Amino acid sequence: MFGSTVVDVAIGLVFVYLLLAIICTSANELLSGVTKSRATLLTEGIRQLLGNQPTSSAKNSPEALFEEFYRHSLITSMMRGHRHPAYLPARTFSTVLIDILSKNRTGRVTVEDLEEGLNSLPDGDVKQSVSAIARNAERELDDIQLGIEGWFEDAMDRVTGWYKRKTQVWTIIVASLITLLANADTVHIARRLWQDPVLRSAVVEEAKTRAQKPRPSVTVEYPDPDDPTNPQVTSNEGNTVSAQEQALLGQMLGWQGPFDNSKRAWMERILGWALTILAICLGAPFWFDLLNKFVNIRSAGKSPAEKPKTPQKRKLATADKSP
Amino acid sequence: MKTRSLLAVLLLISVSGVCRADITLALNKSFVKKYKDRATLTTNFQVDHHPTKPHDIGRSGDDGDIHMAGRDSVLKLPLVAEIINARFAPTAMQELMETVSDQAISMTGAWRIWFEHPGHKDQIQGQTVKKPTTSNPDHVCEIHPITKFSGVDLLTSFVEIKNQAVPPKIYEAYTADVAFPFYEQLEATIEASNTAIMIVSGGSKYNYTEFYIELAGNPKEVTDGYLVLANVFQSDNDEDQVTAAPRRMVFVKGTEPANKLLSLTQGDRLHVLGIPRVNLAEVYVLAQEHGANEVTVNLPYEMIIVAVLP
Repeated sequence: MFGSTVVDVAIGLVFVYLLLAIICTSANELLSGVTKSRATLLTEGIRQLLGNQPTSSAKNSPEALFEEFYRHSLITSMMRGHRHPAYLPARTFSTVLIDILSKNRTGRVTVEDLEEGLNSLPDGDVKQSVSAIARNAERELDDIQLGIEGWFEDAMDRVTGWYKRKTQVWTIIVASLITLLANADTVHIARRLWQDPVLRSAVVEEAKTRAQKPRPSVTVEYPDPDDPTNPQVTSNEGNTVSAQEQALLGQMLGWQGPFDNSKRAWMERILGWALTILAICLGAPFWFDLLNKFVNIRSAGKSPAEKPKTPQKRKLATADKSP
Repeated sequence: MKTRSLLAVLLLISVSGVCRADITLALNKSFVKKYKDRATLTTNFQVDHHPTKPHDIGRSGDDGDIHMAGRDSVLKLPLVAEIINARFAPTAMQELMETVSDQAISMTGAWRIWFEHPGHKDQIQGQTVKKPTTSNPDHVCEIHPITKFSGVDLLTSFVEIKNQAVPPKIYEAYTADVAFPFYEQLEATIEASNTAIMIVSGGSKYNYTEFYIELAGNPKEVTDGYLVLANVFQSDNDEDQVTAAPRRMVFVKGTEPANKLLSLTQGDRLHVLGIPRVNLAEVYVLAQEHGANEVTVNLPYEMIIVAVLP
């Protein structure tokens, strides 16, 4: 009896963590779309490479080369209105930079053109860096271009690192906001589930329904069954929180009810919030897998009528063959 | 509620976490873009290790293949290449036996990324590949099946796997109801930098699988083969497919399966033998969509069709 209650409370907690993680993921994606953070960080990375380099026509502007770079037609063709691109191939970067440094010369650019352009530049970071690359490239333009690409790729690895850290930081911030706004206190939720068998039973039933849904993830589908070279990414139904699930969350979370202001209660509350934030950061797929395990454990231990799940099969009618 | 009970719940959750023995495969983005919709790849391959005779015919690893391990000029990863039905390719076998270490041989075949023997170390495309010490080193990349080996055409090896006995012993492949549910639940984490795509996965298995395909669309011709979306069934008269959605099938141009495919249209069924590989077209689109924001998905896979079965 004690064991089955522990499993049911665990299922309830995992279920809550899963729903909160799904909400957090949606909020993060929304935020990422709004802030266009990847494009911003790419621009920042390029600013670090080109930002301290005046040009001969704008000697007093340290960002002159950076601005000229973003005015180049190869770059503007990748922009949507005034929005900078989120990705930039190394070859495009090197081509644009060489073109600017060789003063947009028409026809085939030579090492001499590039050197002439570099010599005419006022002192700055780009002049110093590209000159060093050119010295090591034994006067071959292809080698210089490869060197510039390597310089760019090193910088982009840093951008990727920034982006990853920024994403992780945002996940923690969003998880904290959700936890505090909803008062998602693990200790409180566990206590409610332990003490209220009706709520516990409702949560376990809803958790079992959730376990039958697809794993929260993105899937790749082919909109045109005759074109297997054009897959597209879609979000599956496992990424949405149903009305019943929202209603159950409402019963376990929130700021309503008598509020204990004792020191012990606050200590418990802070511990509960911290556990919830940590749990949300583990992500929805993790909690979905764990929920399935617990539901299977419970099914194996309880009712012989409940059979283990067979692999999901989908029957497609002849007219419904498009993926 | 007693603190002890709460601790029991939290302990139960924490000890149930999953530990996956995965590795990271880092591929050059331009490589993925180039090969994602191709059936094969041509490379110069230095054969470093190979056995002297093909595997027996039976089940599981007794698949009649001959393995060779080495280093190449295109994939630039630990690599194993395999000739299927090697007993019926005496000229290629003789060429293989006559190769000397460090001799580069021109080779074409279906590229195959599959996390079956990944080992424990990450694999990064372009890093210096150590000379393998066995014919089956840790690897996730294969040329399998080989279609041309040192000028010897092997397109006719894409037939049912059997030996030369009378009557011949037929290879016993994994069945669709065993292999496909396994393929369907494999996971991968995909992440991209500006120049590379990282795939984190592991624990793949079930090389040769026998199944029925029903074309969900019409075949599309690519440089060196045909691609088609198909539903997968355990038997010819089954109505329940064994995959969650149609999967991409890869046919190598000039092989018997490819020739047979050209006579089929949407809705037709075919009994085939196939081997799984990572679907780089899906990996690429996921990487483009999510960039440096890693995404965990079911491992995108497709099937290389190596034989039409009776």
